[in-house]
Amino acid sequence: MFEKTALNVRNQRTQNLVRTLFLLMTVLLILPVLVILGVLVAKGGSMLSWEFLFGEPTNGMTAGGIFPALIGTVWLVAVALLASVPLGIAAAIYLSEYAPDNAFTRVINLAIINLAGVPSIVHALFGVGAFVLFFNFGVSILAASLTLAIMTLPVVIVATRESLQAVPQAFREACWNMGATRWQTIWKVVLPNAVSGILTGVILEVSRTAGETAPIMFTGAAFFLPLLPQSVNDPTMAMSLHLYVISTQVPGIPEALPYGVALVLILMVLCMNSVSIAFRMYLRGRKKW
Amino acid sequence: MRIRVLVLSVSLLLVACGGRDVSRTMNQNKGSDTLVNVAQSWAEHYRDKNPDVVVAVSGGGSGTGISALINGTVDIANASREMKPREIELARKNGVEPVLHVVGYDALAVYVHKDNPVESMTLAGLAEIYGEGGTTTRWSQLGLEVPGCGSDEIVRVSRQNSSGTFAYFRSAVLGRNRDYKMGSNDMHGSKDVVDLVEHTPCAIGYSGLAYATPAVKMVPLRREEGAEAVLPSVSTALDGSYPIARPLLMYTRGQPEGAVKAYLDWILSDEGQAIIAEKGYAPVGTLGR
Repeated sequence: MFEKTALNVRNQRTQNLVRTLFLLMTVLLILPVLVILGVLVAKGGSMLSWEFLFGEPTNGMTAGGIFPALIGTVWLVAVALLASVPLGIAAAIYLSEYAPDNAFTRVINLAIINLAGVPSIVHALFGVGAFVLFFNFGVSILAASLTLAIMTLPVVIVATRESLQAVPQAFREACWNMGATRWQTIWKVVLPNAVSGILTGVILEVSRTAGETAPIMFTGAAFFLPLLPQSVNDPTMAMSLHLYVISTQVPGIPEALPYGVALVLILMVLCMNSVSIAFRMYLRGRKKW
Repeated sequence: MRIRVLVLSVSLLLVACGGRDVSRTMNQNKGSDTLVNVAQSWAEHYRDKNPDVVVAVSGGGSGTGISALINGTVDIANASREMKPREIELARKNGVEPVLHVVGYDALAVYVHKDNPVESMTLAGLAEIYGEGGTTTRWSQLGLEVPGCGSDEIVRVSRQNSSGTFAYFRSAVLGRNRDYKMGSNDMHGSKDVVDLVEHTPCAIGYSGLAYATPAVKMVPLRREEGAEAVLPSVSTALDGSYPIARPLLMYTRGQPEGAVKAYLDWILSDEGQAIIAEKGYAPVGTLGR
């Protein structure tokens, strides 16, 4: 063994300091999440009941349940996913696997980045102009979901593109050398190896879609509409707008009600996501590299 | 293969859901935040009366409802102000002939913190607080010392400019050609104004009478110096003694027919008017007299 020099001691001290500091920052990061969840459970937990989940709002929305809003959000998220996931994955495959690095591709990439930066209320106005009025879908689930889909497209595209690019180039080259075409390579080798990353994108999209209020306010969500939607042509209530409405517009709301709605919204997103999270864990377990 | 089957079955499901149920009629009803809670209550009670007709209610402000009527996306627009000539012209250009229905009256109350000792105000005095170029910025200028308001500054609470309440307060108190003073807190809901005033000793705000709570104080108003100070109430709004009261309106596309007519007739019936009265607004028709 050898004696620690002054330099060793100083290095060691810096090392410990930096590690503690970064650990603290990480803890700080999860603190808001824990506090939010804790407050929601403490203040809204008492609201959770069978009637709350499966009942209609009654008495000027100050009592009763949230079922129409719950189902409405499921519809909105499902239709938005159906529209944006295939489109987003196709675009990402093109950009990652086929597109040459030229001015056109760079313009597309720039457009995607810009699309991600557009405030959601601007998407809402675009949705009103394009889907509600021009395509004449009216105020409907279809118009709202397509607006949400356009808003979340960049999330899907970027996540898919990143995960496609994370697949080692050697995999593709090996495949091509066996005589496989580009599409065969993508379908049999690249995509299966990228699925877990794509799912991460979908998870992010579900959370964002379920939580957005502005894009659906003018395109498909109603303040009050107690019946469940029967088709994508109907407007619907939605959890996020319901939460906004009962916390800002309706007098005489019991204090626990908004917290209860927020808690259910978070649990809902968690439920929808847990399916893809489980699937992703299964896929990661199979990954060979 | 498995994926193809999945895609196919999902699209089939969507098509199957796409068939509209013809037995259900939907009335689209959108607009004024002042009216939205009454509209919600009407929609809720009308369902018990007539289960085949669903009324979808949305808020967003009088301007939002009126432009939706112009674009033809709603059957009934709720408004707390009359349509401007330009809006009527636009509607006609789109083949919509707006027809006005008075469904009740609203008194605009001026709210202050419950500890505020103010006894009454004149309209001109209010205009000096809210209007552009007005010189009243401190409570002491009105000879008041407000407990809890150390800064003595009058915190003005106002509404966003798409609100009918914003427009009405301006025309009734400031005069048509005078703008609001800059630097007010512009809230996005009638209830928000009252909530903020409740928690801010320095504040003054205006909002519908229906949003009054025991935690805030309503200021009796004088039409001019020396006139009688009148507290806002259903009866003072109806007999015209309270200076800032206005009709609440619903606009239809042309003379109402079918389900829309039945709904409006019910709203104007004693049963419908009892609901608006219960919400703190003044009813019209036989109940009002």
